[in-house]
Amino acid sequence: MAIKVNLSKENNQLIIRIEERFDFSLHQAFRDAYINVKTNNTEFVLDLSSTSYMDSSALGMILLLKDHAEVLSGTVTIRKPSDTVNKILEIAQFHRLLKIEY
Amino acid sequence: MPNVSTIQETRVALVVDDSKMQCRVLQKYLEEESYRVIIANDGSEAVNMYIQHKPDLVLMDINMPVMNGYEATLKIKSLSSDALCPLIFITSDDTEKAFIESVKVGGDGILVRPFSPEVFKAKIQSIQRIIDLYGNVKSLQQEQQKDAELAEQLMSGVIEARNFALDKIGIVKKPAALFSGDIQLTALCPNGNLNVMLGDFTGHGLRSSIGAIPLASTFRAMTQKGFSLIDIITQINKQLYDLLPSDLFLGAVFVTVSEHDKSVYIFNGGLPDAYILSTEGEIKHKIPSSHPPMGVMPSLLPDTGLTVLSVDPTDRIELISDGIVEARNIDGEMFEFDRFERSLIKGIKAKNVSKTVLKDVMDFCEDMPQEDDISLIDIPCSNWDTTKNVEETATTVNVDEKILPEKDLTESLSAWDWQLKLAGSRLGKINPIPMALNQITEIEGQSEHWQNLFTILTELFINSLDHGVLGLSSDLKSTAEGFVLYFNERESRLSQLKDGFVDIKLSFHPLPSGGRIKIIVKDSGSGFDVELYREKLKTRDARNQLSGRGIYLLEQLCETLVYKNNGTLVEVTYAW
Repeated sequence: MAIKVNLSKENNQLIIRIEERFDFSLHQAFRDAYINVKTNNTEFVLDLSSTSYMDSSALGMILLLKDHAEVLSGTVTIRKPSDTVNKILEIAQFHRLLKIEY
Repeated sequence: MPNVSTIQETRVALVVDDSKMQCRVLQKYLEEESYRVIIANDGSEAVNMYIQHKPDLVLMDINMPVMNGYEATLKIKSLSSDALCPLIFITSDDTEKAFIESVKVGGDGILVRPFSPEVFKAKIQSIQRIIDLYGNVKSLQQEQQKDAELAEQLMSGVIEARNFALDKIGIVKKPAALFSGDIQLTALCPNGNLNVMLGDFTGHGLRSSIGAIPLASTFRAMTQKGFSLIDIITQINKQLYDLLPSDLFLGAVFVTVSEHDKSVYIFNGGLPDAYILSTEGEIKHKIPSSHPPMGVMPSLLPDTGLTVLSVDPTDRIELISDGIVEARNIDGEMFEFDRFERSLIKGIKAKNVSKTVLKDVMDFCEDMPQEDDISLIDIPCSNWDTTKNVEETATTVNVDEKILPEKDLTESLSAWDWQLKLAGSRLGKINPIPMALNQITEIEGQSEHWQNLFTILTELFINSLDHGVLGLSSDLKSTAEGFVLYFNERESRLSQLKDGFVDIKLSFHPLPSGGRIKIIVKDSGSGFDVELYREKLKTRDARNQLSGRGIYLLEQLCETLVYKNNGTLVEVTYAW
């Protein structure tokens, strides 16, 4: 499975880790990873350290996650994007929308 | 939506067996399941019948003379690559070897004799379910293909066909097998500047093109009405944010090229770097993305501005979407920016950027399927509108000869008046020219003269704002580099503006064959020495200067031009 999900109740944190390609084929699996988390103030962490490629539909999927987090007054943090992925995030200027940890 | 399984058509089954008796038995069972049956008695005959009749189902014996069942199956399966034709072996050989071999050559099942008619029919029905499912998938796929073609037609046939100066601007557009949302727009501003946009919507097919029509109409309408590029971008961002779902947005580069000011205004929101190159193929500027794509945020970020660069008339601007740099070859390697830049420079030197780059990308990818749209726009910094300027000058001369100005305009009665006074911070935020032009068009309808009026109004308003209210000296503009300094200084003074005003007044006087418009523009500035300025203008050829061109242009276009109140009020008339 290219998506690994880790929910930590005590930290109120959901870590979604994407492996290899982050593209439209993950649409359903990515949504399933967070859609049932309905706890207020959850921190959604998107771990992209082992993501090798990301396309623009993945950017759209991140924006949907952001919408979901905002409804819960939570946050979205992108963690350790690889160089290739970071280039895509930079072109889309996503650091102006979300927190990115390098 | 057409559904293959509901189409009432007799299905055809091919029965292959060297025993005529066995054939007759299977034929009877199949006819009870509403199949039309054709029969072959050996493998070779089966292959011929398959080619001739394209059956929906094949039942195959294994041991036959001339060509056995395995061999015939291999041939048939190689012929039926694009159609699903289930093939079931019917045999008395219940060994493991027969079972494995029948699957290996492409068989979809095996039925071992003896079996009852009920078992046989159950097997046929289960195979039928798979055929139906496959038919459904196939028709859905065709629907999707049609949607994608519609989206592509919409983009190229309807929207992009209305682009301006297609012969001067090199546009490459090679849609992927599944159209991927690239859109290319060009339009001419009333003052002769050129607006260009290259955009890339997220997603594929029809979904990625729903934003295209509103995008194109906003881009064209606002360009034609003379709105500034940043106004157009602000509006498009808001429109797409309101219109599209969260995960759909538009990465885009917007460019205004001003041949007159020898400047380029660029905004890159979510696309790869835009390039400006000299005619020798030197990369002079790269303009990286500085803003999230259009439609992501409800309004533009507060510090958003245009990049202003001075250019030579022979420079070229190159815009790309990510399709080129992410194109893959057989080893999964991407074309990347290094290869693209080399190809770009080669193309500039060969004076054919679009062809060169497209060929290099295609050579690199060889036969690999194209995953994303490939787009490139190659824009010259001058000469896209040469013929038009000549015509304009010609008409202006005719008008001057025909109409003699009346002695005192104030005494003749105006048909209507319009006035707008902008003060303080509003001056930096509101562009009164589109409003004034709207007013004229609403009352007097469309006319070829409004373009000249736009130029006149813009020159007058900008002069009053820049030199009057903001107190900027036009000396700054004497060099191309100075123009950028001037622009930056103007932006900073505008943002701090608290008081001052510009007052614009229009009055229209109908004439038997046309009309005359009087424009009065008054500003709060301290004015200037009109006589001295006129002397200064005479001593040089203003046509070739970056500054002073405005006044020269006004004198050419207007019937009369008078400065009053120490230069804080200008009164012009334009007649046709």
